[in-house]
Amino acid sequence: MNEPQKRISDKALSVWRITGAITSVSIMVMAGGVIWLSNVFSWPAWVVIAAVAAIILHVYLYVYLFPLLRWKRWRYEVREQEIELQQGVFVVKRTLVPMIRVQHVDTRQGPLLKKYGLATVDVSTAATVHEIPALPMEEAEELRQFISRLARVADEDV
Amino acid sequence: MSNSKRLHPIAAVTNFFKQLKELIVPFIAFFVFGTKASEGDLWFFMGSIAVVMLVLGIGVLNWLRFSYRLEEGELRMEYGLLVRKKRYIPFDRIQSLDFSEGILHRPFGLVKVKVETAGPSGAADAEAVLTAITKEEANRIQDIIAQAKGKLVEGALDTEVERLEERAEENVIYQISSKELLVLATTSGGVGVVLSAMVAFLSQLDDLIPYESAYREVERVVSNGIVIVSVLVFIGFLLAWVVALIGTMVKFAQFTVKKTEREIIISRGLLEKRQITIPLNRIQAVRISENILRQPFGLCSVYLISAGGSVRNTEGSKVLLLPAVKKAQVAHILQEHLPILATKQPFNKPPKRSLPRYLFRGALMVVPFVITAIAIFKLWGLLSIMLFLFSSAWSYVIYKDAGWSIEGQQLNIQYRGFIKHTLFMKKNNVQSVSYKESFFQRRKNLATMTSLIKSGMGAIGGTIVDIEKEEAREIYHWYSHSQKAPF
Repeated sequence: MNEPQKRISDKALSVWRITGAITSVSIMVMAGGVIWLSNVFSWPAWVVIAAVAAIILHVYLYVYLFPLLRWKRWRYEVREQEIELQQGVFVVKRTLVPMIRVQHVDTRQGPLLKKYGLATVDVSTAATVHEIPALPMEEAEELRQFISRLARVADEDV
Repeated sequence: MSNSKRLHPIAAVTNFFKQLKELIVPFIAFFVFGTKASEGDLWFFMGSIAVVMLVLGIGVLNWLRFSYRLEEGELRMEYGLLVRKKRYIPFDRIQSLDFSEGILHRPFGLVKVKVETAGPSGAADAEAVLTAITKEEANRIQDIIAQAKGKLVEGALDTEVERLEERAEENVIYQISSKELLVLATTSGGVGVVLSAMVAFLSQLDDLIPYESAYREVERVVSNGIVIVSVLVFIGFLLAWVVALIGTMVKFAQFTVKKTEREIIISRGLLEKRQITIPLNRIQAVRISENILRQPFGLCSVYLISAGGSVRNTEGSKVLLLPAVKKAQVAHILQEHLPILATKQPFNKPPKRSLPRYLFRGALMVVPFVITAIAIFKLWGLLSIMLFLFSSAWSYVIYKDAGWSIEGQQLNIQYRGFIKHTLFMKKNNVQSVSYKESFFQRRKNLATMTSLIKSGMGAIGGTIVDIEKEEAREIYHWYSHSQKAPF
């Protein structure tokens, strides 16, 4: 299968892992609460086991597996006439956005992305917004200018 | 042309009623939950009068402060009670003018004019309203704007005569017949609304109707015979249905679709006349919708999906073009009038091997209900397994109704949730196309396609699930603008 060519930055992996770890911490707090409660009310042992299993599973999925699969899948390609994106974990989704439909392009950056020198590019059409996450900052900036230049050339009604 | 004008005084009255209508809910809440002590009654009464007077005063002042004028190629409005606002709309930014006549407008020959602009997308005030002006004035404004825009489009060539000719060149493409109106009304879902309104109304009257004694009365009646009760219930339903019927008929009477060179004009209504104008170049797609009530009669409704409308007013984004017509006649009625053809041609269907996936998805929806039923009713809950029969039948219908076709620059998609939709769209208007393939789909060589178009401020999409992978790729290729094939 002829996939789009470009990958996003491999630092995206670290960013996603950290994000996953943060959500994992909140799960741990909740599971910890359950374990404490089961101690107080002497609930059956399987409650504790389930809580521990939930923590382990969550960490495995959101810190290890999903970021990896997601990163492996994420591809994009910007051609003269269109932008093509490929993403997904279990469901592969490929999207075509013609250049003449692009209305504007934004880059944005949260604290985590900033730490890793990354930025996210948002491509907006009249009706939809498409996101290319975690590109190196210069690349994101270049891409933003490139797309907006091409989009201006391909100017048309709605 | 440049002197500023005020709206007709009726505008103050309509504003007053509009405000009053918004107050009615808190009013009722106050009335129901409020104090019941008798000494509160006088205060309540006086308070109500004071509030009504205040609203009336504000309505009149707002009217006094509102002025508009047409000058230097702009519609200029000034208004605002405490904060003075000025709003200047250049004529060439005006997308369409919609006229409507309320009950209050009609005796005085007035119209309400809604000015829709191609404002910044997402802006809540993408439209301006002149609440009440005379018909002649409205026509004058329309002419001035059309003339100004015509000049912009056609250069200086445009003359008054040509303009007039074009205005005369409105041809009626559809007019509802009384038979269609009747069918439309009988199959409308308005009954439910009326019924729930009745229930709400009855429950509001808690204080006025002595329910206690009424119940006793009812008990006696019930002991006298179930028959009477069921007859009463039946009469209630019948009444609700008749009310809904008349409501729909009044609303859709004289439904007419006209077409000029650049726009589609839809007008309808008996007591309240409404007119909607859709510029042809704002039309994004045509949608045929068939609900279960109308499908057996071979009837469908046709909608125009338009880029118009604003956040507040979503009405402009999906406009009812033909309320209830025979599906076979749609193509005949619309012919070449629209930029998009709603033709009836064979649709490519999902393959047989995707049927199990459709059935499975349907069954999945039912599972929670079955589990709950078994958990609560134990053995009797097993009866809920019957639900799987319904879900399977429904899934089969959904499977049967899915389809797609491409003809030249046009993509047509057919799909069903509860209502069967057929969406016709031009490649130019499709904002994006996605191809989706899950792990299980890949094993069966199936894929899902979604294409999104702009509708008002947002997007609506046609999704077709579990078609042949090759076909999904074909659509993807069709949409791709580059030479190099993406797959």
